[in-house]
Amino acid sequence: MTSDSTIKTLLITDDSRVSRMMIRSFVRAAQPNWVIVEAESGPAALENIARGAPDFCTMDINMPGMMGTEAVQLIREQYPEIRVAIFSANIQESMQLKAVELGAKFVPKPVTEKTVAQAIEFFLG
Amino acid sequence: MEALTEIFNIGAGRAASSLSSAVASTVKLSVPRIELYQIEDLDIDALGLGHKRLGAVLQSYAGPFDAQAMLLFPEENALEIVRDMLGSTMSIEDLSELEQETMCEVGNIILNACLSAMADVLGVTFEATLPSYSVESLETLLRNSIENPDQPLMLVLNIDMIIEKRNTQGFLAFLLSYPSLDMLMTHIDSFLGKI
Repeated sequence: MTSDSTIKTLLITDDSRVSRMMIRSFVRAAQPNWVIVEAESGPAALENIARGAPDFCTMDINMPGMMGTEAVQLIREQYPEIRVAIFSANIQESMQLKAVELGAKFVPKPVTEKTVAQAIEFFLG
Repeated sequence: MEALTEIFNIGAGRAASSLSSAVASTVKLSVPRIELYQIEDLDIDALGLGHKRLGAVLQSYAGPFDAQAMLLFPEENALEIVRDMLGSTMSIEDLSELEQETMCEVGNIILNACLSAMADVLGVTFEATLPSYSVESLETLLRNSIENPDQPLMLVLNIDMIIEKRNTQGFLAFLLSYPSLDMLMTHIDSFLGKI
């Protein structure tokens, strides 16, 4: 994969520290110039975005407090320029359709080099 | 029961595919067998898991029928799975620190893969709770399950998921109530009626 030399900011949102670690690791390898920030929940992601909108965002679905789909809806309404990739183990067709409705890219977990590459391709596309 | 076995087989296949991606190894599946038990009458030896301690991921699903799903691995294999998922460059201390979170993530992926396949085949939708992970004996797990009178049945998907490079075995089971079992069978009958 070619590295995009423009500096971009990616917000990783997932209540799982392990998932955040893995996404960060694969993104760092593919896009070493990107700035990566993290949030543990939908509300934390929204607070982070309000302080300075990232270019891209990954979002888990099943998190305490606020479902990722609700957070994505709010992001798409308030910050439509942010490209969102939904990373989820919930691979039911209904969830994949929901992602499309929200204008997000659905990426099935587990987090691997290949699935992160799919997200990056969407972000840069 | 044949249709139920086939639907779970599809689910297990999807779960094995997800596990294979997570640990970067081929995952083999045994031929599945579905067995239904009253938990309080369950003979633990019949499950073939022995009396060793198990890493257990538990996750509840709600939808047209409710169930608690359990993914079980022998305790000693759990750290190996964590190592395979996170990479062998991490220290044992770091791996141990991340064991609980990683096993929750692995369980989340595998159980969701299995249930999503069922949901898609039956044309229904489930919602899942956050997963929890603990290490217990099978006796303790079942004793805790017996304490929940709402789910007296255990539907055991007797299928071994074997991670080839580690010879690790995983085991899936579902706890549900009589009404949930009836609803599950109704949905299966409806599915069969359409094909």
